[in-house]
Amino acid sequence: MALRVLRVIPPLIAALLLAACQTGAPSPSVVASSAIPSGASGTGASAVPVPATHYPVVVTDDAGRDVTIAADPRRIVSLAPSTTEIACAVGACAELVGVTDFDDYPAQVAGLPKVVIGAQVDVEKVVAAEPDLVLAAGNGFTPDAILSQLDDLGLTVLVLYPQSADEIGGDITLVGRTLDAGAAAAREVARIDDAVASVRTAVAGADRPRVFYEVGVFEGQIFTAGADSFLASLIQIAGGDPVTGDATTTSLALEDLVAADPQVILLGDAAYDATITAETVAARPGWGEMTAVADGHVLPMPDDLVITRPGPRVTEGLLALARAIHPDRFGG
Amino acid sequence: MRAAGTLPATARIGALVGGPSLARAAIVLGAGVLLVIVAVVVGVGVGTSGLAGPLDAAGILAHRIGLAVPVSWSPGAEQIVWELRLPRAVTALVVGGGLATAGVVFQALLRNPLADPYVIGTAAGASLGAVAGLMVPTLVPALALGAGTAWWGIGLAQVLAFAGGLGTMLVVYGVARTGGRVPVVTLLLVGYAISSVLAAATALLMFFAGNRLGAIFGWLMGSLGGATWTDLALATPLVAAAAAVILVRWRRLNLLLLGDGPAAHLGLDVEREKLILTVLATLATSAAVAVAGTIGFVGLVVPHLLRLVLGPDHRLLLPTSFLGGAALLALADTGARLAGGVPVGVVTALLGAPFFLVLLRRTRAIGA
Repeated sequence: MALRVLRVIPPLIAALLLAACQTGAPSPSVVASSAIPSGASGTGASAVPVPATHYPVVVTDDAGRDVTIAADPRRIVSLAPSTTEIACAVGACAELVGVTDFDDYPAQVAGLPKVVIGAQVDVEKVVAAEPDLVLAAGNGFTPDAILSQLDDLGLTVLVLYPQSADEIGGDITLVGRTLDAGAAAAREVARIDDAVASVRTAVAGADRPRVFYEVGVFEGQIFTAGADSFLASLIQIAGGDPVTGDATTTSLALEDLVAADPQVILLGDAAYDATITAETVAARPGWGEMTAVADGHVLPMPDDLVITRPGPRVTEGLLALARAIHPDRFGG
Repeated sequence: MRAAGTLPATARIGALVGGPSLARAAIVLGAGVLLVIVAVVVGVGVGTSGLAGPLDAAGILAHRIGLAVPVSWSPGAEQIVWELRLPRAVTALVVGGGLATAGVVFQALLRNPLADPYVIGTAAGASLGAVAGLMVPTLVPALALGAGTAWWGIGLAQVLAFAGGLGTMLVVYGVARTGGRVPVVTLLLVGYAISSVLAAATALLMFFAGNRLGAIFGWLMGSLGGATWTDLALATPLVAAAAAVILVRWRRLNLLLLGDGPAAHLGLDVEREKLILTVLATLATSAAVAVAGTIGFVGLVVPHLLRLVLGPDHRLLLPTSFLGGAALLALADTGARLAGGVPVGVVTALLGAPFFLVLLRRTRAIGA
């Protein structure tokens, strides 16, 4: 039993990393991000004065919880690489006192204490870091049991779970407001908006091929962009029509994939596993008939990390996707 | 167990209904209590953060029980010791003790060496209940009530796990009863069949679990990571009461070892006693499972291990199994914590099984 269970864990983690969440009420951070003129140019956005945060402040996180921030947080624990990158993007890197063992960006976070090891949150280490703010990720990435335990311990927890490029901007705005770093957040959001706008311009009018982004294939289970996930939204912005999996588990049945008949297959998992190539994909039973395989549009994606991590480097991920889907629009 | 096969029946009965010498019992029980104390001291004194060492932990505990100790630790250390490590260690004692006691009862009742606390469907029923409870917030958002799934600190999954464990036992027992009797083999087979149905239902729910799957796997593997004083306050009275009532029935358990027929000839109301003991053991098991998930191994091997060392007399086997199960799970959980949160059942099996095998071979060698 235990062994069987353990074998399922890696795909599960991968699925949760990438997972989209239930469709439903728009996340509050979208509302927050609308305060920033969306789609405006960088200079335009930074011209809008961003008010300083007056503490205590009540913010609404992506889990729909009203979180009271008593004072400007000085000790921050981040339970996901994406939330680490968001904190650093608004200039709070020096305030981080705990991160995960997956954290690799910016380089300076590598030396910080690890409070999440092998996707297991070590609550004792979180408490020992004495944080006045904990940044967590939604859709079960930070398990609910851990979230309620952190709540019970009296810690201030902000759950981030963006479901589109816009919502990544919304989360950056939310963290900026929480950390009294509104101006830095506004600059980041404007930068992302600019990148989105320029990619949209570049692919405007082009055909929109059906794109399957392979996050991973584990024991016959195929994981891709979940319906209504930020990854699906990135593929759309990049001029593709995403083939999506289940909204929460991001898994997709092979039959459904064959029926969807993708015209482009992007191999995110090839970034970590050299045995996953266009040739080995073509040799998989049932895969050879797809248009993408027949036309030779199966590409490894060495930039998977920035494509699947919902943080400020989403701009790089978006560009990598757009170049892969529409090489002709990028001088390729 | 060593003697059981060789002595004549009359001597066997004498050995079983009599008792161990007081001195030997005192030494063995004293050693058990000492082991439990060591397990708690280690569990509270070490951790992954290094913020609260054994000395700090001792000071914090003394401070908490009202002794005038100079405070030399940080608030974080106090929180770690009092709200994380101590409830976890004490929960390990209650769960480990409860499971080992239930294991003793089922092994005696069913006269089956593979019997464990989960053998008649308790685990399957509790799992289905817990999985259903974990999924309710997904299926019926109105019941989620805020951030967690807790009502007054009690998780819905815990309530349903407890009810599922107890309810399954009652159903299994009812189905297995024929003509006012519950034959042991029928009980085992019905337990197996109903467990299979419930396991299939659990698997079906998990298929639709979506992003709750991580929480479900965590529960099925068993963990003391979420232990709180509230959970403990609910589980402890149930486990303690069940274990105490089982303990005072040690003589009847000894009689049941002889078989249903001989026990009845010696004046025991066998069917009534089987039902009472099954309900008591299931109560302890369900309460343990509700707070810690399905932790395996402890309930199977601790009774065997102590039976190999001490013999089959339940007067000594029951309390030592409680203490042994408690200490083993507390020590294993400390190991699991230090190893970065691996499932505690993995640690108990990895450390306990080889030890058990060595003991089994040595004892068998002596017997031959």
